[in-house]
Amino acid sequence: MHRRSLILSLIAAALAGATGPAAHAQKQPIVLQWQTANLTESQYEPVWKRTIAEFEAANPGVRIEPVLVARKDHWTKFVAAAQARKAPCIVSVDLATAAYNGYLLPLDKFFNAEPIEFRRAWNEGILSAAKWDKKLYGLPIWGGTYAEIYNRDLVVKAGLDPEKPPRTFDEYKAWAKKLTGKDQWATAVLGGKTDTTTRVLLTWIWGNGGEAFNADMTEATFAKNPKSLQAIKYYLAFAKEGLAAPSPTTTNYLEQTNLFAQGKIATMRNAYWAVPKVVGDNPAMKGNIFVAPNPVNVPNAPTLSTMTASSISHSCAHPEAAWKFIKFDADRKWAIERAKVANWMPLRNDLANDPDVKADPMLAQFIKIGTNARSYPLPSPVWADIAANDIVDAVQKALLAPEKTDDIFRELDVRLTKKLRDI
Amino acid sequence: MVDAIALPVPRVARTGPLNRRRRHAGLLFVAPVFVFLCVVIVFPLGHAFWTSLHRVRGLSSTFVGFDNYARVLGDEAFWHSLGTSVVFTSSCVALHMVLGLGLALILHQLTFARTALRILFLTPWMVAPAVGATIWLWLLEPQFGVVNYLLRAAGAIDGPVAWLGEPGTALASVIAVDVWRGIPFVMLLMLAGLKTIPAEQYEAAAMDGANAWQRFRFVTWPNLRYLVVVASTLDIINTIRHYDIIGVMTQGGPAGGTEVLPVLLYNTAFRANRFGDAAAIGVALLVLVLAFAILYVRLTRPDRPETAA
Repeated sequence: MHRRSLILSLIAAALAGATGPAAHAQKQPIVLQWQTANLTESQYEPVWKRTIAEFEAANPGVRIEPVLVARKDHWTKFVAAAQARKAPCIVSVDLATAAYNGYLLPLDKFFNAEPIEFRRAWNEGILSAAKWDKKLYGLPIWGGTYAEIYNRDLVVKAGLDPEKPPRTFDEYKAWAKKLTGKDQWATAVLGGKTDTTTRVLLTWIWGNGGEAFNADMTEATFAKNPKSLQAIKYYLAFAKEGLAAPSPTTTNYLEQTNLFAQGKIATMRNAYWAVPKVVGDNPAMKGNIFVAPNPVNVPNAPTLSTMTASSISHSCAHPEAAWKFIKFDADRKWAIERAKVANWMPLRNDLANDPDVKADPMLAQFIKIGTNARSYPLPSPVWADIAANDIVDAVQKALLAPEKTDDIFRELDVRLTKKLRDI
Repeated sequence: MVDAIALPVPRVARTGPLNRRRRHAGLLFVAPVFVFLCVVIVFPLGHAFWTSLHRVRGLSSTFVGFDNYARVLGDEAFWHSLGTSVVFTSSCVALHMVLGLGLALILHQLTFARTALRILFLTPWMVAPAVGATIWLWLLEPQFGVVNYLLRAAGAIDGPVAWLGEPGTALASVIAVDVWRGIPFVMLLMLAGLKTIPAEQYEAAAMDGANAWQRFRFVTWPNLRYLVVVASTLDIINTIRHYDIIGVMTQGGPAGGTEVLPVLLYNTAFRANRFGDAAAIGVALLVLVLAFAILYVRLTRPDRPETAA
């Protein structure tokens, strides 16, 4: 009897051991990691936390795990994880580069299965910027248009009229001279080692009617196009002439917004998201900021609009659940929240005339400026590399040796053209 | 203790079933470590070499033989980076040695607060390099950093100095931070070495009328010389593959002014997505480190005549 009960106990224990993990697994929710460069930005934190909470409440079987990575490490961490086939499921990365390298999953299957109203929420231009090799690799979530942001007090103090901001390069330089004083500069030239340096440089090139690349992105024309080179020299000269804050080679988004928040610089070229960052750093700046289109030398010169899309990584084990979250995050409610709280512009064309969007005059101004903008990143699978490395290196070299600017950008053209053709 | 290492080892008979069994048992004991080393050292090295022979495009790769090596060695950036590595490593090691030895001599002479000072000087070594680098990054910040603030207050500078904004000052800054962090290691080694010098040698020198410099020149230095060579070699191996301080403070910039080989490797792999080229740079760096490692092994071989001296 004793032996029999022992055997029965062992069988029961074995069965429990065999079924236990299965039962346990059934109870375990699907965990989706979510990595974007923006989760660490304080102004966005309340929005993404609410998005996750509401999504998890509506989808009890799915849990979202945010991966907080500093902006400068975002791409490298993603690549390292993707190489190890452990990339977070939901990511916002340089789309063409990531898709070309096989790190992303095409989303056409999911997108095409959605109702027509959903698919029509994005215009073809925006969607094409989320495609590589004719396949959709991301759902556009938000964007940022680059414009000139001014400190109203400093402008007035310099005897300038905020109602008549500069419209040409020369007018801008005339303002810059008046806005520069002791321990006080008109602006910041960006030369730090991230692609923000490249973004601002492109706005100057395009503003002068120049081109950095040929139409099919097989040739770089920074020096080859005279208008591009002229714009580059004009912009970088602000540093040499003492009109821009010192140490441009280490100045980036963070340093630029810090300087602006502390009243050390009077203008900065940036997107709408820089405004809450500045106000967060220095609440006294609230109501003291105005925005105007970038000064340009040719009529109808476009500015630059970034397009941030949510994608699903190749190594994601639950793409259906990931798509569910991306769809949820792309909803009107969160697009408006992001615009109001984090100052990120919605990309859905059905929200351009939304009353909530129109109620914010600065957002409306950015959206108006953004009607004439080129999409960024540029469509090349080596863009992440050339935008954050080669172009930034050339800018740094030219800032350190302005007399060699022509040669430096000529060498850059050769280097980039080789890379673009070596794909 | 050093003498004990140099004692002749009696020959052991290597034949017979008992010895064979012992040898097999010995191999069995060594096996787990051997397997562990294969997993954590041999496999990654082999994989890195394999990668260096391929053109890697994201998750796929194509065999290209030694093309990556040809491209890397033909690239001016590699030679510039190698030059920067040499300047960075030699400056850091020289300063570690001179300042570390100097501090050790001072601490060795002290009769009070020796332990407290030793702990104090060790603090930079206890801080994680990335944390220390981040602190220095903010201290050296041109507009709001403490270093510029103090220098301006002292009247040493007129306006903000961009310490990390120009190649020369950036390289000097990262060298200074590495020296701040690396001195304690050398200081500890030298302190240990100083303790092994017999007091009688100093007493004899004093009786001969030797002054402080002569005592250092003819007693301390000959006793420490071997340790200095070993410590320098170890320090070279440690510093030449250094990434974290530069990675955090300058990422190799500005304009490649601080791009030492490990930073070039990182930037090539993870920023430029050229894993094949990065692996080739890694193999080149390995060869360089290996040369110093071989030197170290030769220097510390038990049968070296110096060890018995």
